Amino acid sequence: MAKNISRREFIATAGATAGFAALASMGLYSGWGSNDSDTNSDQLDSKELNCDVLVIGSGMAGLFAAVKAHDAGAKTIMVSKGRLGSSGQTPFAKGIFEFGAQKSNVTLDEFVKQVSESALGTNNPIYTRQMAEHSKARVGELREWGFFDSPLYNKSFNRPIKDRNIPVVERVTITHLIKENGKIAGAAGFSIDAKKIYFFNAKSVILCTGAGGFKPNGFPINDLTHDGTIMAYDIGAKVTGKEWNDGHPGRSINPAACYDGWGDMFEQKPNTTSVSIRHDLGVDMNYMAYQQGNPIKMGHPGEMNNVTLEGGPKRPVLQGSGMESEKRPGGKRPPKGKGAPPGMGGTPVGGSSAGMAIHKSEGLVPINDRCESNIPGLYAAGDALGSYMAGAIYTQIGSSLAGSAVQGGVAGEAAATYASGVKQLELSVDKKKELKDKIFAPLSRDAGYSPAWVTQTLQGIMIPNFVLYIKKANLMQAALAYIEELRDHHMPLLRASDLHELRLAHETANMIVSAEMKLKASLMRTESRCSHYRLDYPETDNDNWQAWINIYKGKDGSMKFEKQAFDSVRRS
Amino acid sequence: MPINNISGCIGCGTCVSTCPTDVIRLNKDGKAEIKYPEDCQICHLCRMYCPTDAITITPEKTIPVIVSWG
Repeated sequence: MAKNISRREFIATAGATAGFAALASMGLYSGWGSNDSDTNSDQLDSKELNCDVLVIGSGMAGLFAAVKAHDAGAKTIMVSKGRLGSSGQTPFAKGIFEFGAQKSNVTLDEFVKQVSESALGTNNPIYTRQMAEHSKARVGELREWGFFDSPLYNKSFNRPIKDRNIPVVERVTITHLIKENGKIAGAAGFSIDAKKIYFFNAKSVILCTGAGGFKPNGFPINDLTHDGTIMAYDIGAKVTGKEWNDGHPGRSINPAACYDGWGDMFEQKPNTTSVSIRHDLGVDMNYMAYQQGNPIKMGHPGEMNNVTLEGGPKRPVLQGSGMESEKRPGGKRPPKGKGAPPGMGGTPVGGSSAGMAIHKSEGLVPINDRCESNIPGLYAAGDALGSYMAGAIYTQIGSSLAGSAVQGGVAGEAAATYASGVKQLELSVDKKKELKDKIFAPLSRDAGYSPAWVTQTLQGIMIPNFVLYIKKANLMQAALAYIEELRDHHMPLLRASDLHELRLAHETANMIVSAEMKLKASLMRTESRCSHYRLDYPETDNDNWQAWINIYKGKDGSMKFEKQAFDSVRRS
Repeated sequence: MPINNISGCIGCGTCVSTCPTDVIRLNKDGKAEIKYPEDCQICHLCRMYCPTDAITITPEKTIPVIVSWG
């Protein structure tokens, strides 16, 4: 077990991390400063809306959640920080898995088994099966709506929404979920354009808020800052999957220009994928870069430098996939593909998606196969649900988008059923006042820390390869001390001069809490498996770690952790 | 500069609502302007949705970029 070290000790051992933090502090932004707010929060109006089911988020999961909740008879409202079909990762996802569309000798049972083998047991087979089983029906609906006819999704997403007259409230940042009498009662946030606070009284809420990152420089996920996860955690929901990492690299030339890095992929119309199970985009490249430095020549996943390197993340045996037992980076490679996939040509840099876990492996803990959380009435779908549909590594190509569509539909129907059996709760005046004060606090401060500066400092602490990807106890402890400092002394003093910066302030606070979760869960998991790699615990430990880590807020407000055995989610 | 020029704007506001990171706003004349360039994630959605091809984007970020290794 790693030894705990004091703050003074860690400063002595963590010069490199401190260096990054210092670098961040020398960036464009000033840290502490007076707040020249152009918005007086006392003068902002509020608006109140009622519904049976509130869908938060407007990507693929949100689309199906709203449509299926409506079709199941619920009065449904969708609210989004962005715009329907152009929020989160959905606009950039171009492949959707459709099981059974083409002739294949892989049965559903075999498919689930192969995913489980590749995922080293980390997947939840109930959700793996559900995704495959429902994928064809959801893809069929998308085809009908014109999804495959354009590279831009707003028009096709609008079709079923407008046909049903489902209200969509765009550019409203939800900052708080509301719980009354132990059940979900709605959500609150603010509109950037209308300069209003929004209260939603809802019998049920579905989080379709996507994954999250640390506003990384290389992936278009800077609007995804773990908002749903942290809002739910704050009202008592259990969260899982924080120790896993998405290992996508970026390009060394203009690493933040994801569009350029991904070629013309964003301009392509989407298409479907068929059965192809892999074990990709974990931290193999991060390990190679750590051990031998850059440059690494990139090709197809699995094809890297032609060198032999000891150690590193293990890869599983996959029947018929060309993967080798106990394979490590630099060992025998899978057959060559068709060259580098989008975003993976040329000399790479790491951390393109820093802060994000593997799709569907991070988010609210489901208590059944209906996307339900431990809070009655609160559901999540897509990347906001820690369903472990694919496991803690990328397995089936295109299943991320399919899983969001399928889980959106499942959650929509489940939430509508739940809502039909409960009464609407009205928010009290006191509760509204309390929420308004919390939401607008950064606007009201006379002085404070700039959210952009705090975010840049957090990036400097968390994104380095030797903290986030190639993990060891002493550096994670060091980084944790910095993050706790941000949590205790910066998060409460974030300032906002306008509503754009107010959104950044809430996003920054969410990222700080998520960073704490990531470091603590990574410290707790004293083994290496899939996309979680510990340099000090390089082996997979099946005796102690056939388990997921769940995180929840204790009664004293502190972060608590528990193990949940793999494959222990019960059906409803 | 990531999103660095808007020329030929007809004031439809599509780019404003399309931008995932709230970089663009309509100015007093009802035309799109780049308000928060440092938050541009260079995803090109605004350019792709613009009905008049008014937006030009370049690949450089306006602030120092932090990567994991490289």
